[in-house]
Amino acid sequence: MALVARAGSITRSPRGAARWWAKVAPYVFISPFYLLFLAFGLLPILFSLGVSLFNWQGVAQAQFTGLSNYGVLLTDPDFLTALGNTVIVWLGSTVPMVFLALAFAAVLNAQRLRLRGFFRTVYFLPVVTSLVVTGLIFSVLFDPSIGLVNDALHAVGIAPINFLSDPNWMKPTLIMALLWRWTGNDMVIMLAGLQSIPGDIYEAATVDGATGRQAFWRITVPLMRPIILFDFIISTIGAFNLFEEPYVLFGGSAGNIGGTQNAGLVTGTLIYQNSFVFFNFGYGAAIAWVVAFIIFVLSMLQLKLGNKPVD
Amino acid sequence: MIGVNTAHRSLAARSWPARLLLYLGLCVFAAAFLAPFYWMIISALRPQSEFYQIPIPVIPSHLTLQDFVLLFQRSEFGRGLLNSAFLAFVSVVLQVFFSSLAGYTFAKLTFRGKDVLFTAMLATMMIPYMVTIIPNYIIMAHLGWIDTYWPLIIPGIANAFGIFWMRQYCQSIPSELLDAARIDGAGEFMIYWRVVVPLIQPALASLAIFVFLSTWNDFLNPLVFLRNQDLFTVQLWLAVVSHEGNVGQPAIVMAGSVLASIPVLLIFIFMQKRFVAGLTAGSIK
Repeated sequence: MALVARAGSITRSPRGAARWWAKVAPYVFISPFYLLFLAFGLLPILFSLGVSLFNWQGVAQAQFTGLSNYGVLLTDPDFLTALGNTVIVWLGSTVPMVFLALAFAAVLNAQRLRLRGFFRTVYFLPVVTSLVVTGLIFSVLFDPSIGLVNDALHAVGIAPINFLSDPNWMKPTLIMALLWRWTGNDMVIMLAGLQSIPGDIYEAATVDGATGRQAFWRITVPLMRPIILFDFIISTIGAFNLFEEPYVLFGGSAGNIGGTQNAGLVTGTLIYQNSFVFFNFGYGAAIAWVVAFIIFVLSMLQLKLGNKPVD
Repeated sequence: MIGVNTAHRSLAARSWPARLLLYLGLCVFAAAFLAPFYWMIISALRPQSEFYQIPIPVIPSHLTLQDFVLLFQRSEFGRGLLNSAFLAFVSVVLQVFFSSLAGYTFAKLTFRGKDVLFTAMLATMMIPYMVTIIPNYIIMAHLGWIDTYWPLIIPGIANAFGIFWMRQYCQSIPSELLDAARIDGAGEFMIYWRVVVPLIQPALASLAIFVFLSTWNDFLNPLVFLRNQDLFTVQLWLAVVSHEGNVGQPAIVMAGSVLASIPVLLIFIFMQKRFVAGLTAGSIK
């Protein structure tokens, strides 16, 4: 009874109403995120798990088939090809990218470097370019008949290479495009990390007679390990979600999304093809879940390796 | 910053051949990063006949806007530019407003369950995009939203990165200012609108740039959710132009690429400081 009376007085008096609003307002202010996430994040995830258990071919009635989509997946040559290609592109781009990004960041962090701002801007510039434009520029540069790269090779006496349709060259071309587009992104993250290393550590090392190179390997790299690890993990996630660059480079809407002998097929384009070209939603969702699981395992593995204590 | 200065004293102390080599290396990489841009611009501006010369001249004999004219004649590229500008504008306004309101709330207001809610929000950033796009397509189809801009606008409002980034920035707002407004009788929303928003203008601008770039450059979402060419964005038109035989000359494709890149490059070059600060702030704090 007392409670009801109190509640009544709160809503009646203007001060009480203000106090009530002050309590509720935070939840109102953050609610759009959670409501939209429920509708377009959580619901789809649960739905997607469910869908992956069905044979659902767009227009036709969905049939419950249990784990059979996952069973088919393990022996599907397209899936295995896409997975193999993705692993090659992932390792081929991530390792040099992280290495280059750290080197660029270390050099471009030096205060006395002339034109430091200019170099930072130029190295970062590709990151703002759209992935479609990146794919288009590289397909023009590496075109077998009108491409600049083949002209340059011709000038030094090398026969033209079909970078975009020779199965041996498709993945290296994709890796080059990825290095151009994404290295600046990793570099900026590394720069932020470098700036958080306290300078007196280097001062002490200099007093102790350490050279610049020793300081880099003994101080910078160990202290930067969490950031380097972070870069490795985001690059891994990026590689397994690759879509636009291979789609544009290897002729996505021309029907064969993976290019010659599927040498340019990656997991991202395979999911797209199954879901939105063949409208086989169930199978597409199953691939997406397996890929998500692989990303999770690889990230955990890297975290475990990266967090191993140094001597 | 003082630390950074002393940390790299060794650079200045290096011998001049070492320094020369360092700058030479930096220039080689700068050229590698710039060359594709140069080739895009030059390919769009050179006369088409030059494409069939071997070797193709690195510097064109003269420049022409012919390919831009052909691009507009043979496709609805202009409409694509307008559609993308509209989508980017709407997304920027909505995402900046809702992200800053929620970010401020997490930074400055106290309420039960705050930590759990915040952690849950951060965890949503880990979900791989490919997992949600198929069910989202089915949901949008049920809502009758295929071939509308709703799927490109509404889910994006729940921007976990934006909320996180605004929260980091809002933590530096002095609580005394907010308490003073409260004593003056200002309501909770008015405090956000009149006191907080003017204080966080730089952060709002950074987030706006970020949202603009990601909306303008988005390809997968428009590709999945749009069928009607009247609604196509600039990135979709680029893909159409590059695949259609009659418009598909590389020169015209490059003209389109130049037009699609001009807004993002201009924004980046003029607002660089804000942009790079925005990208790095989240990762260190």
